[in-house]
Amino acid sequence: MSGAAKFKNGVKISERHGAREWLTEKIALAILMPLGVWGAISAYSLTGAGYEATAAWFGNALNAVLLAVAAVVFFLFASLAWKVIIEDYIHKPGTRTALVWLTNLICLVLAAASVFFIVRLALGSAPLPAGV
Amino acid sequence: MSTSPLTGDPTHDPSDDQTGRVVIQPNGRPRPLSPHLQTWRWHVTMTASILFRVTIGAASVGAIFVLVWLAALASGPEAYGQFLACAGSVLGLLIGFGLTVVLVSFLLNGGRHLFNDLGRGLDLKTANLLSNIAVWGPIPLAVLFWIGLFATGRVSL
Repeated sequence: MSGAAKFKNGVKISERHGAREWLTEKIALAILMPLGVWGAISAYSLTGAGYEATAAWFGNALNAVLLAVAAVVFFLFASLAWKVIIEDYIHKPGTRTALVWLTNLICLVLAAASVFFIVRLALGSAPLPAGV
Repeated sequence: MSTSPLTGDPTHDPSDDQTGRVVIQPNGRPRPLSPHLQTWRWHVTMTASILFRVTIGAASVGAIFVLVWLAALASGPEAYGQFLACAGSVLGLLIGFGLTVVLVSFLLNGGRHLFNDLGRGLDLKTANLLSNIAVWGPIPLAVLFWIGLFATGRVSL
């Protein structure tokens, strides 16, 4: 956060995008509320189910889409939440920036991996490692 | 004029302060942080607020467990059988119970946070009620969830 502050119409840029980040975090959390209830119900019904029944659950496009949306929105929320936590407790600028980027990268990789597996399961692809 | 020490002051250079008592302003000058937890009398709203951060951390770990579940399922019946054996062990069931607490806590505490973010429920009585629900609610609800799982034969020891 060093260097001269950038201004737009007399307002610091950082003071503009801060509100958007906050709002994004809140909207993500609001989306996760119903998805979380659905997730709890799904977890309840899938507990004790075997491979066939669980794979069949993913065959339902609605389940696959909802789970993929939940994964992406959760990791978006998690990256923003971790950013806030890191900014609160890490005061060394270099370390802070590095940690924020690291958590962003981890969240991105985990979100991409989730979608990758969900898409494969939804399409009924051959078990991994496939094509070896 | 501020009399606070500048960065590079050999007697007490605040630029590498890791105690969290000093923060560097954008103009390079250090500024002490405002009084924190140790200054205030304990209140349930504080617990709820702190627990939400803890919950987000735990939910991040929980998401990795979900990812392992997806990976095992995508790796075919054999791998999934091994996953189910782990999940059905005592340790696996304990982790499952913990994840249930985290999910319920995320929903209750997240709901409280969103409600307060709208500027509602900030009077003392409502804030206390919502915080108490967010702090204590997850345990009985998770226990109920698992009683249901055992009672319907979805899980057994």
